[in-house]
Amino acid sequence: MIEEPYRWVEAIGNRREYIEHQLAAGSPIACLAYKDGILLFTLSRERQKIFEIYDRIAMGAIGHPGDIERLRMAAIEVASTEGFTRSAQDVSLRRLANYSLSPALKTAFEQVYGAPYLARMIFAELGRGDDANLFVRLDYDGSIHTNGGMLYRGFENFGVISGTQHSTSQMEKFLKGQDFADSDLKHALSVALDAWIVGHLTAGSDTQDELPAPDKIASHRREQLASAVIEAAVLERSSNLPITYRALAGDDLASLQKAKN
Amino acid sequence: MEVAPPLFSPAAEDFSSLLRRQGLYPAAPQIHGGPQANLPHTEATTILAFKFEDGVLVAGDRRATAGNVVVYDRADKVLEIDRHSLMAIAGVPATAWEMARVLEHSFQFYRRSQLQEMSLDGKVRALSKLLRDNFGFVMQGVGIVVPIFATYDAAGDSARLYFYDAMGAQFEAADYAATGSGSPSVRSVLYYENTWGKKALRKMTQSEAVITALRALDTAAEADTATGGVDRRGKSYPIIKIVSKSGITTLPEKTLAAIYKTKIK
Repeated sequence: MIEEPYRWVEAIGNRREYIEHQLAAGSPIACLAYKDGILLFTLSRERQKIFEIYDRIAMGAIGHPGDIERLRMAAIEVASTEGFTRSAQDVSLRRLANYSLSPALKTAFEQVYGAPYLARMIFAELGRGDDANLFVRLDYDGSIHTNGGMLYRGFENFGVISGTQHSTSQMEKFLKGQDFADSDLKHALSVALDAWIVGHLTAGSDTQDELPAPDKIASHRREQLASAVIEAAVLERSSNLPITYRALAGDDLASLQKAKN
Repeated sequence: MEVAPPLFSPAAEDFSSLLRRQGLYPAAPQIHGGPQANLPHTEATTILAFKFEDGVLVAGDRRATAGNVVVYDRADKVLEIDRHSLMAIAGVPATAWEMARVLEHSFQFYRRSQLQEMSLDGKVRALSKLLRDNFGFVMQGVGIVVPIFATYDAAGDSARLYFYDAMGAQFEAADYAATGSGSPSVRSVLYYENTWGKKALRKMTQSEAVITALRALDTAAEADTATGGVDRRGKSYPIIKIVSKSGITTLPEKTLAAIYKTKIK
């Protein structure tokens, strides 16, 4: 019976395996901080994956669209009511992730009679003034991974999610070796696309520790751009409005589209 | 945190009903019998708005009064709601500012949750609904608000101007609108300018429009104690904001000071 402890552990294990299997095919999402703010980037085929949550917070997600939608609405509701009752300055990603979303995800995941959320999310928050940007990866079981800021560890200036653990760490490895902190949007887009390609190439296998070779990345890049659609948005520091989110379109993406041909 | 049940209708949850569900928005008192107090007929202030060449100009004085007492001479009665919308208020500031806040958050909440901008008609109606919800307070003798709403319609590529009554009826103004205790004189000035002046309001350039607006406000302040004039020593000038295709601009104090010096007195 499921009330017995070891059965519960087994049930959780099965559930984890099932969800990981469902998420494995998800298109990676790369977020990176560049000179003027934060870029969120993915290639998608059918539906929107990158969303505005609040003035300085954006979200990207892979998983079941129904679950993503419920979590997205919950995040917007929490942020909006906080922003209304207190002030926009009081809305913080740290509190949103730690106090609101993570406990709800954990509860849904561990109550084995109910349905878990089939979703993996990456949140980005544009720091105010000199404050560091925050990237938070939030998983279906409520576990949280941030871009650092702990003792002895500086802030990483990127955050990624992908279908598998291996592919995620390969993308992180790739981005650690890249220099984009002071680059313009054009360069940031190119790095983000390469990070996406690395994630996509490494999603299939768990074994290969080496990053894909540059020429392999380049050829895969051409192939993918020919069939998929770029989806990207930025949180811009230069915005003279409180709202910093802007979805990128035509002109901004022209440099990548040119590389296609 | 409670994750909301699946929503099948986009109308299922607007921002004010979300606030109400969480107990964060006061419900208007029920109206029993007749009015509880003498309803105020004037809202002590002057707000005006008219269309000119580039868009809509909205201007307001800065005085806040309580009965015969001047409470504050730097009140901002022209409030930015979003990139292209302004709400200007005559009435009780507490209610009006709260309304502006709800409105601002409603539009943003709609855009974020529905992944599309609220239509112009939707925005105009949203303010109307807030006014209706507030009518219980008005009947109690507190919380009357009579706003003007100015916006630029990107789809139709034109400036739009609306004024409301306290119950929430909305009227679209062809050329100009005014509200508050100083509005009768302002309306006369604008009618005169528009009909017999050198130029119709709509044909005015920005600088002509600004001068007309400041002169009209000055005329209102002449006869109405609740409308603040200009205090040059205290550097308190009326607020003028312009809604055009490119967004909202606020006229800096320096510009206003220069215009006052040369064109008003």
